Amino acid sequence: MTAPAPALPPAARRGLLARLRRGGLAYLFVLPTVLLLAWYAYYPAYIALTRAFTDWDGLNTPNFTGLENFRQAVTDPAMGQASLNSALWVGLGLGLAVIPPLLVAELIFHLRGPRRQYAYRTLFIVPIVIPSLVLLLVWGSFYRSDGLINQLLGTLHLGGLQREWLSDPHTALLSLIFLGFPYIDAFNLLLLYAGLQNIPGEVIEAARLDGATGWRRIWTIDLPLLGPQLRLIGLLAIIGNVQYFISPLVLTGGGPGNATTVPALLMYQTAVKFGQYGYAMSIAVMLLIVVVVLTLLSQRLGRLSQGARL
Amino acid sequence: MKPILALSLLLTTSASLAAPGPWKGTVTMYVQDYTPNYPGQKVPLKAFQQLADAYQKANPGIQIKFSATPVPDNDTMVRVKAAAGELFDIYWAQVTSLNSTLPKGVATDLAPYFKQPNPYIPGNKAWQDVMNKTVLAETTAPGGAVYALSGDQVAYTVFYNKDLFKKAGLTKEPSTWPELLAAARKLKAAGIVPMHAVPAYPWWSHHFMTDLYSKDYAKLTGYDGAPGQSPFDEAVAIQRGLLTPKDPRFLSWWPAFKQFTDTWPKDYLTADPAKNYDAFQDFVGGKEAMLYEGSYKAREMKDAGIKFPIGSFNFPQLSAAATPGATGAYTGNAYSGTGSFQYAVSTNRANKTMTPDKLAAVIDWMRYFGTPGNLQKIVAENGSYVPSWPGTKAQFAANFDSAALKQQISQPNRAIGVGNASPNLGWGDMQKIFGLYLSGNITLDQAKAQAQTVLDRAAQDYARKNKVDLSKVK
Repeated sequence: MTAPAPALPPAARRGLLARLRRGGLAYLFVLPTVLLLAWYAYYPAYIALTRAFTDWDGLNTPNFTGLENFRQAVTDPAMGQASLNSALWVGLGLGLAVIPPLLVAELIFHLRGPRRQYAYRTLFIVPIVIPSLVLLLVWGSFYRSDGLINQLLGTLHLGGLQREWLSDPHTALLSLIFLGFPYIDAFNLLLLYAGLQNIPGEVIEAARLDGATGWRRIWTIDLPLLGPQLRLIGLLAIIGNVQYFISPLVLTGGGPGNATTVPALLMYQTAVKFGQYGYAMSIAVMLLIVVVVLTLLSQRLGRLSQGARL
Repeated sequence: MKPILALSLLLTTSASLAAPGPWKGTVTMYVQDYTPNYPGQKVPLKAFQQLADAYQKANPGIQIKFSATPVPDNDTMVRVKAAAGELFDIYWAQVTSLNSTLPKGVATDLAPYFKQPNPYIPGNKAWQDVMNKTVLAETTAPGGAVYALSGDQVAYTVFYNKDLFKKAGLTKEPSTWPELLAAARKLKAAGIVPMHAVPAYPWWSHHFMTDLYSKDYAKLTGYDGAPGQSPFDEAVAIQRGLLTPKDPRFLSWWPAFKQFTDTWPKDYLTADPAKNYDAFQDFVGGKEAMLYEGSYKAREMKDAGIKFPIGSFNFPQLSAAATPGATGAYTGNAYSGTGSFQYAVSTNRANKTMTPDKLAAVIDWMRYFGTPGNLQKIVAENGSYVPSWPGTKAQFAANFDSAALKQQISQPNRAIGVGNASPNLGWGDMQKIFGLYLSGNITLDQAKAQAQTVLDRAAQDYARKNKVDLSKVK
């Protein structure tokens, strides 16, 4: 015998207007936030989307140009190089966002005594107060031909490894990606550390009794249970790296040639330096599509791996 | 009776032209390096303020207010303020930006006013008669509009640290290309960095190309029928294969120049020219012997408190022995940019307060300060720029040996280059290829192929945007 379908609640039956009337005060409280969000977040996104199909110059009424901007973008050799650079950046950036913070979180988590853990946690979090631009400029000086890295290599009698780090197309992009050793993102570290703290003590104890210690424990217990944190970090890393262009802008301007140009930098330069806002918006829309596709893909992969474990 | 009547009519017309009209209020101005009473300056400038005071006295109810807020990125400032309808009434902007990258509608077309008499210049029939005709032609937009009153130029020269030259045993300033190369090598051998900068393609290429193409000067500057090389002239020459690698002169100087940059550290060779600000700090800090820069740097060096003696010499003469195809023509002044006296007037779109009455008052004030005498006063007080109008004379700041600058501005100005046919050509695309070649990352043949591609695209862009068929130009 099948159970009768539950009757729809009265509010649903009365429809939207009735619901609005019923929760009028609540909606009124939410309204300012919705309006601000619409004006400052959704409207600019709408502008970017619609003006990608125009010759907008940032001031005058735009003229519709169809897919011309997109055609220009996909046939521009600089855009091709920028896309390859970005793909490498996203791939390596994902690894840097996950692996170093995970290792450090594990090390701190396994320290004996909460005071030691607190001290090391603080030590890794403190650099967050340094403005990122300062970090970039300091690393820019490290990468100079007479900078710290080459001096260090010279002192270690490794002169053969000395490079013009940012002016050699073969090393420039990797130098920017691997800028900021030891790559401990404070937010990611805290997220993973909190995830480790949330693993029930019984699970850890049971694993220990079963002989799962060291790397085996990390692989079989920690990583599966840190799934939600890792997925979030991965997602944010993908989105952040696709949109990132600050270090190429500050240190290399996209050069040598287009060796460190990424689509977001191309978008910025197209708009700010050359006043072609319509074209820049088309690059922005393409970036949006890439971010959405990668996000959906990573979520799908996350769900698949979760399903495989269950 | 008739002459008296004519004179009365002329005076009446002049008086009516000179008057700012019925409008009363405040005219806002951003005058870049000529800003009077700029905070933090050891010796604040006064000339513009004195002119404003005199004008205000003669025209009660009108106030002139100078903005002293620092502007790190002028084009962005113009765009943002214009989008809000709050742009200054009169503002500084590079003419090249006004003609290409800034949106149409941020500046009023001043060409009609330049054709009218300036009542503040005795006997003047058209304001443009007192201006530099070459500069006026070169700064005219493709459609014939002129968006800025341009009255000064930057002179480019090689500044050098006299102490470091002495330390390397150099007693004479280089006057030929082989001498410059020898000096650079001697400095390097003495453990001194000869030069450490971004080799800006638009700067250096003008010197070489003006020499190499000197026999074709009339042709390369004559497609538009006006003096000087306009973006139109450039686009036509590219389309005809003259200013492209198809012509053997176009890149013949790159290997010679590479010999020079091979003596430099490579950090900046492939960088964006904006990095030359960092390179300037190296010169200020005594870490490099030479600095190729504009005359505006003289004041910055003074403000930076440089202690060592500074000399200057101009781009040296070329010879066929060192640079294939060189003619030995004088090119010391081949590169010069418009300076700090280039002022645009907002439109009503960019500045909501710009009514027709206010525009009349703004133009009247502009005519007042835009006379050869006042230009001379403003430019001379700053000591960094060269007033470009006939009859005016440059006076440089006394903190360096400016003999070379004085020498180059006394020569007739002839300049050939490539880089303005499209917004990204000279400072962007050609700069990248130049940097890759100089740093040894691409060969000359690869550079030729890449340059041909970007030049063809630039000429096509120009033709498309300005709706001209370059192949039909005579």
